[in-house]
Amino acid sequence: MTAVDLFLQQLINGLSLGAMYSLLALGFTLVYGIMELINFSHFNVFMVGCMIAMLTLQAMGLSGQTVILSGAPLVLTLLAGFAVSMVLCGFIGVGIERFLLRPLRNVKGPAAMITTIGVSYVLFNLVLLTLGSDSKNFPNPLPPVVFPIGGAVLRLREVLIWITAAVLMLALNYFTRYTKLGKAMRATAQDAEAARMMGVEVDRVIMISFFIGSALAGASGMIFGLYYNLAKVDMGFAAGLRAFTAAVLGGIGNVPGAMLGGVLIGLIEALSAQALGSAWSDVVIFSLLVLVLVFRPAGLLGRLAPNKS
Amino acid sequence: MMKALAGSFVSFAGRPLAGMAPERRRALGLVVLAAVLLAFPYIHDNDGDIDSAANAMSYAVLALGLNIVVGFAGLLDLGYAAFFAIGAYYYGIFTSFQVMPLWSGFWDPFAMLGLVEKINQGGPDLVHFTLSFWLALPTAAIVAAFFGILFGAPTLRLRGDYLAIVTLGFGEIVPIVARNVDSVTNGAAGLNGIQAPKLFGQSFGVSATPYYYVGLGLVALLIFVSLRLRDSRIGRAWMAIREDETAASAMGVNLTRFKLMAFAIGAAFAGMTGVFFVAKLQTATPEMFNFAVSSMLLVMVVLGGMGSVWGVVLGAVLLQLLQTWFLPELTGWVHQLGAAIGVPALRRIDFVDSTQLIFGVILVVMMLFRRDGLIPATRKMPALSYAAQHAEVRRGGFVNLDRIPRWSPEPGNALEVRGVTVKFGGLVALNAVDLTVPAGGVVAVIGPNGSGKSTLFNVITGLVQANSGSIQFEGVELLGLAPYQVLERGVARTFQNIRLFPNLNVLENVLIGQHARLRSGPFASVLHTPGNRAEEAAAANWVMDIIGLFGNRLLPRIGQTVSGLSYANRRRVEIARALASRPKILLLDEPTAGMNPAETLELAEQIKSLHALGLTILLIEHKLDVVTRLADHVVVLDHGDRIAEGRPDEVRRNDAVLTAYLGRAARAAVMEDDHAS
Amino acid sequence: MITRRSTFRIATGVASAAILGSRAAHASDQTVKVGINLSFTGADAESAARIANGAILAFEEANAAHAVPGVTFDLVKFDDATATAGQYDPAQAATNARKMVSDKDYVAAIGPQMSGAGKAMSPILSAGNLAIITPSSTNPDITDPKFAAQYRPSGKAIYFRTVATDAFQGPNMANYMADTLKIKSVYILDDSGAYGVGLADAYQRQAEARGIKVLGRDRLDPKAADYSATLTKIKAAAPDALYYGGVGQAGVKLAKQAYEIIPNMIKAGGDGMQTADLLKGAGFPAVDGWYATVASPHVTEDPKTASFRDRYFARFKIYPDDYTVTCYTAAQVIVEAAKKVAATGKPVARDAVRDAIQGVTLPDSLLGPIQFDENGDLKNKIISVFQIRKDDKHPLDDPDSQYKYVGVAPMTQS
Repeated sequence: MTAVDLFLQQLINGLSLGAMYSLLALGFTLVYGIMELINFSHFNVFMVGCMIAMLTLQAMGLSGQTVILSGAPLVLTLLAGFAVSMVLCGFIGVGIERFLLRPLRNVKGPAAMITTIGVSYVLFNLVLLTLGSDSKNFPNPLPPVVFPIGGAVLRLREVLIWITAAVLMLALNYFTRYTKLGKAMRATAQDAEAARMMGVEVDRVIMISFFIGSALAGASGMIFGLYYNLAKVDMGFAAGLRAFTAAVLGGIGNVPGAMLGGVLIGLIEALSAQALGSAWSDVVIFSLLVLVLVFRPAGLLGRLAPNKS
Repeated sequence: MMKALAGSFVSFAGRPLAGMAPERRRALGLVVLAAVLLAFPYIHDNDGDIDSAANAMSYAVLALGLNIVVGFAGLLDLGYAAFFAIGAYYYGIFTSFQVMPLWSGFWDPFAMLGLVEKINQGGPDLVHFTLSFWLALPTAAIVAAFFGILFGAPTLRLRGDYLAIVTLGFGEIVPIVARNVDSVTNGAAGLNGIQAPKLFGQSFGVSATPYYYVGLGLVALLIFVSLRLRDSRIGRAWMAIREDETAASAMGVNLTRFKLMAFAIGAAFAGMTGVFFVAKLQTATPEMFNFAVSSMLLVMVVLGGMGSVWGVVLGAVLLQLLQTWFLPELTGWVHQLGAAIGVPALRRIDFVDSTQLIFGVILVVMMLFRRDGLIPATRKMPALSYAAQHAEVRRGGFVNLDRIPRWSPEPGNALEVRGVTVKFGGLVALNAVDLTVPAGGVVAVIGPNGSGKSTLFNVITGLVQANSGSIQFEGVELLGLAPYQVLERGVARTFQNIRLFPNLNVLENVLIGQHARLRSGPFASVLHTPGNRAEEAAAANWVMDIIGLFGNRLLPRIGQTVSGLSYANRRRVEIARALASRPKILLLDEPTAGMNPAETLELAEQIKSLHALGLTILLIEHKLDVVTRLADHVVVLDHGDRIAEGRPDEVRRNDAVLTAYLGRAARAAVMEDDHAS
Repeated sequence: MITRRSTFRIATGVASAAILGSRAAHASDQTVKVGINLSFTGADAESAARIANGAILAFEEANAAHAVPGVTFDLVKFDDATATAGQYDPAQAATNARKMVSDKDYVAAIGPQMSGAGKAMSPILSAGNLAIITPSSTNPDITDPKFAAQYRPSGKAIYFRTVATDAFQGPNMANYMADTLKIKSVYILDDSGAYGVGLADAYQRQAEARGIKVLGRDRLDPKAADYSATLTKIKAAAPDALYYGGVGQAGVKLAKQAYEIIPNMIKAGGDGMQTADLLKGAGFPAVDGWYATVASPHVTEDPKTASFRDRYFARFKIYPDDYTVTCYTAAQVIVEAAKKVAATGKPVARDAVRDAIQGVTLPDSLLGPIQFDENGDLKNKIISVFQIRKDDKHPLDDPDSQYKYVGVAPMTQS
């Protein structure tokens, strides 16, 4: 492998990681943008999403690495996996919002955040007690297609994850910018009280944003499973933390910011593993985050909210 | 009074304790609590449970430290365990057999101090560090405080959740570094041979009891420190920052200094705990300090009651005992119950695997039903009685003015604003504005909404940067100063939309006004030095005099949280807070907004009486009758330009002013009206 | 063959033995407690449960067979994981050690999983003279005579192992790879854990001593999902082999991704890679060809191994992995020691049990002959090497049929 090939390969690795972080970061950003809440339960909704996707594919008769599909069956299987995990995760998110967070809506301070930590414990241990903590072999129906680019290798699954991430993100961007509901969301994020007075059903908007955020976590779970062919109960934290960092780096509450942050963190992770060793990846990521925030306190694309005086 | 006493006596006749004065009841409760805690290892002689309790003490200290950062100063810290780790590794490295440089003469003086000893493991002589536990406690506090400042410094400009993620980052970085620098920390394998504390030559060994007492002592000490800090100038400054940073800095609180102080003192608590924790454990591994610890500490603080010293201790102790003692024993208890009542099903239940699940559920339920914590920091004051609310209110100027010393400003111009321009992006908020306030005078700034009046106040008080110009106060340039420095020079202000500290009571709000006039640092505040006591007493007297000016409006309400006060009373508190700093010039931003005509009149009289005492006043006001009544001189702004100035009656007739205020058509109407009268 | 029904009978037998124990005929009837301290909640819960199963089975069998006349074993679980730490918590391990020490009914203990917990427990157990046998913690420090003053202040060995320390597995495998696999260069990874780092360090020292070129050393974050960057780096370095010190948590992901990126490289690990989790989680074809070592002599075609597997499967409906076996053996050692104490007519108490454990000889355990040296380590230092080769005739997640014995990793000649 030449140095150029190596760099190219690490770029591919980093972009794939970044796509996953971006998707997960979107959930944080959506909820944060609207409620100013760091949602720690998101970590484990993502994990649950991966488990649901795995169980769905297994229920459709796929197991391990043995069944490989192509054409229409492949597309249908993948769509089914995405649909089930996204919808169920969405409802989990709605449930969390409706029953556990709504009563805390007007409470100042970190009470709601603590609730999400509690929910995270509950989700984690429910999965632990029902499915166990061993690594699970996530079904992989994708044909092993490989596109060589010089000495570097691009695999079908990488192309798939980029495309899916891009489609979901563009759709979300379109949704928040141009649809009535999306506009209502942004209005709620700006000023919930004013939005309410202008006829926005704030409760519904918040619930829907929880649904979308959690459904995206479900989609990330499915993508994660397809990409790594693995599901494990403790997978939520490391990926979640980096995704959250990505959301902040890009400017939390900002949809393009979450995408940019995710891709950057993915690239930093891959390139720092090459240059320094993966043991130092987190140190590099967080140092960079501190540095960026010192000079741009609202993140790369975020704008500091004017002091409400 | 007698009636109330008799009433309470009757209603509490069956409960002698409740009949006692609250302070005595408190003292008695503390004595009983202390006795029980001291006797605990003898009452319940199980080394494992005593150990659980000792660990709970560690977490109580950590929670107290985090409470200073999060509860008092309102700085959300998700990486607090980093400081715990720093204290732990500090003691661990300097007592274990990990780092052993070659022996040389350099180490002789340290050996004499007992900090190192010469050892030989075959090969050359090596240095073995033997830092005493009792010396490590205070020095770890200093080391951790240093790191607190180091990690705190980049976060100063960050708000809320950005702060949280950066602290989380530091919390991740510290254990990673501990894991990766094997040569110093022995990495993941953990340090070997950390020394147990010695007292009078006797090692603590492995029995949990002595550690329990040291832990208890630490908790007691740090509860004391927390309480003293909370009730001092420093605690008030922290709470002001927590409630409203902008208002805090405008009232003289140096944000940088007090935020860093909170980080440093909070970190110091954690550093000490680190020493205690690993001395007891005799090993340290990087996993002991990961994010889960930081998040659990936050949970303890919130569960106990943010900002409540006793609450966080209770929260920490309860949560820790729940995890390490009660939930693990639950299985045994249920089994015993099953055996006792003859239900074999109960004997087969095994909770060990689901303790964390139960824990999560408890957390969620607590937040739903008791979110202010077990012991909330602010207790709800009973509402004032009807009689107290409707106590006769004196109209007119201030009462008890004789208690306030007169101002005797140097003659000349107090405040001189020259050519100040402020731009926000493309918008020119102030355009080369000039303004002069003579010493002892009252100047009013008027102008339509958006004319730049509040921006003028903001630029004077340092909240907004000017693009050009100069602002001199008593010959000193104010531009470029931070808000707290402006206040220190004698410029105090109120805000157009009232920026009080909502969860603090009237007395605390006004006391924060005194902040810049007090000097006590953390040590004086904790030790209650004579200087500190004198200063605090004087401050309390002065503040009561200021509040007294407003008579029955505020005096019966000094213990009430300001968020519950009426709009007019909040305005009064804000003026009292500004006056408490004993300013040389008072900047009032629409002081009568939202007041009814009677209240407006009352306040105008009060301002007038301050003027009569010699105080210089700069006023923004819409109500022209108030302006006419108070001001010697009026400046009119429109779209950032000064369009007119002069005596009130002159300005009232100025064409440009009327156009700006009312539009052309209305101006014509007014002019006609004037002619007619 | 033990059927489901007969397992049920054993289980009820155990229950009635426990309940009726006091009514049995022996004059010296005694229920003794054995504590088992593992991380039953949090990240390591699953492997803890599987390890504990070994002890559960051993004591159930001992009780049912009245292996020690008049003595009933009561296995009590202690969880050393806390929500505060999110995983194993040395402070909680210390608390548990104190709990066991302060209850005289405890005569011995099993555990812990992690060396960090062991370091916190050992001094306390030493002061209480309660022997503990670890089925899985391999960091050599605790039994190293250099740290005797620290970890066994009262002098006698207190921390026994039915698992080899990292001090032999790594170096012996380095010898095997140099001699048999003829590798000239290697890339070394560890999983940040005490076990993995220790193993990789020991391997690296010997590999360098044998003239194998170490082309790089990296550390994986076991919680991270993606190792492709590190593996790409290894691909570019192009060593003859990859050696991984660590357990399945990172090992499963590593095996899976290594198959995609460096499919043809020789890959090897320690006993952390001899696990059902790897077969189940990574699966074929990813795991095919991996080498793993086990710190015991390999007894070929031994009927007792097959019998154990059947009994275990009948009881728990899963296959045992190697720490299940070390834990089963640890429990057997305790039973054997109690038997020796009871035979002298003395009550089974912890002091006597400790001394008996020190002198126990199990000639034909599942791990081969078991004897402890004066530090508590196994006397047997034979390291067996296995390679994963797909065997379709047996279940693909059964370690016993998928790991093929390929030889002994030679000791370092000094």
